[in-house]
Amino acid sequence: MSLGTLARVALGELERAVMAQLWSADAPLTVRDVHDRLERELAYTTVMTVLGRLAKKGLVRQERDGKAYRYAAAASREQMAAEVMIDALGDVGEDRTAALVAFVDRVGPAEAEALRRALDTPAGTPPPTPPRSPES
Amino acid sequence: MASVWLTGLALVLAGPVPALLARARWTRAVPRAAIVLWQAVAVAAVLAAVGSALAAPEALLRVLTHPQDRTGVPLVIAVGVAALLASLIVVRLLGVLVLLAVRTRVRRARHRDMVDLLARAEQNLAVGSLRSGTVLRVLDGAVPFAYCVPGRVGREGRVVVTGATLDTLCPDELSAVIAHEQAHLAARHDLVREGFTALHQAFPVVVRSREARDAVALLLEMLADDAGRRTHGDTAMAGALDAFASSGASVDANDEVLMRRDRIRAHVRGGRALAVGTYLAAVALVVVPTVTIVIPWLGEALPVVGVR
Ligand SMILES: [Zn+2]
Repeated sequence: MSLGTLARVALGELERAVMAQLWSADAPLTVRDVHDRLERELAYTTVMTVLGRLAKKGLVRQERDGKAYRYAAAASREQMAAEVMIDALGDVGEDRTAALVAFVDRVGPAEAEALRRALDTPAGTPPPTPPRSPES
Repeated sequence: MASVWLTGLALVLAGPVPALLARARWTRAVPRAAIVLWQAVAVAAVLAAVGSALAAPEALLRVLTHPQDRTGVPLVIAVGVAALLASLIVVRLLGVLVLLAVRTRVRRARHRDMVDLLARAEQNLAVGSLRSGTVLRVLDGAVPFAYCVPGRVGREGRVVVTGATLDTLCPDELSAVIAHEQAHLAARHDLVREGFTALHQAFPVVVRSREARDAVALLLEMLADDAGRRTHGDTAMAGALDAFASSGASVDANDEVLMRRDRIRAHVRGGRALAVGTYLAAVALVVVPTVTIVIPWLGEALPVVGVR
């Protein structure tokens, strides 16, 4: 494993840990909040970098609160899982993109449709980021 | 004359040929060669269409005017119309291809990001025997299924399986599934699919581009199945497909999975002769029209325009 790969693996693990904190929080967190909750030897700037990366990917929302920035997950864990499923399962029929790629098992459009209805979002758009709805 | 031949060829390659090829069963024995044949049909059809667009105005000019009148304004108009018709086809196809490529890559990047965040970290390590260059991600999920997401150029793709997949499949079957997905990633099957998706989006009605896209998609699955069979055996690959098919609730998508399972169980594997014949047909599709129609036409048409 090269050094670069190692750094990327560590970064991925860190992103998961930071995201877990945002998901479990009731309200948006500052970098300091996240840093303290992580309970490990990390530089403040490292946490800031990770949050910045997640925000750039559109997975985390950044909002200004007085002097500090606060961060919140753009979607709940359940909503993100549902979006992944819809994206993957909906990979049949007429799409505006090429396939993610082929499946060993493809679930039919009916399932994808049911999932969409359960989420009550229009086809093709990612689920919005409404208040938490644990049942979805 | 070239214009008539090329138009006829384009129509045949866009209509009856894909219809027949999509229904053919022998292709399942030689998926790789059959995919190359499909690609040759597509390339030949597009070339013939472009060729007939280029040749048609000149042919009209020849019918409508005396040889000595084929200069000046009529000639300029003929050349202009030809260039316009041909570029309509080419620009449309290229435009769709670029748009599709961009959208697909944006979607895949977001999908990879989300899958990376949602993955169950502890189980990623439990499944060993991954070729380097791919990353396995295990998601929560009650339905067993597996897929892969190509990475950016030079970066790892993701093989994604649900937790139910790990629970349902025996180790051999799981390895076969992962080998199947890695075959998709290693051989860049996504690019093949993207080409046929672009063709369908660019010319959705005129041609049998949907049949082509779907037939090629199924052949790519069979090709990846064959990779799983080679490394982990027929029993493991067929068993995995069986488990996937019996757990899914939908009927139409499962038909394909069952067809692939039965193909493996029936030990469908094409002979060398069939594969070689298919490759030869693919080459002939592109070469023969070029040699017999386009080159003679160029010999006649270029002097008319003043090129020699
Ligand atoms: Zn596949």
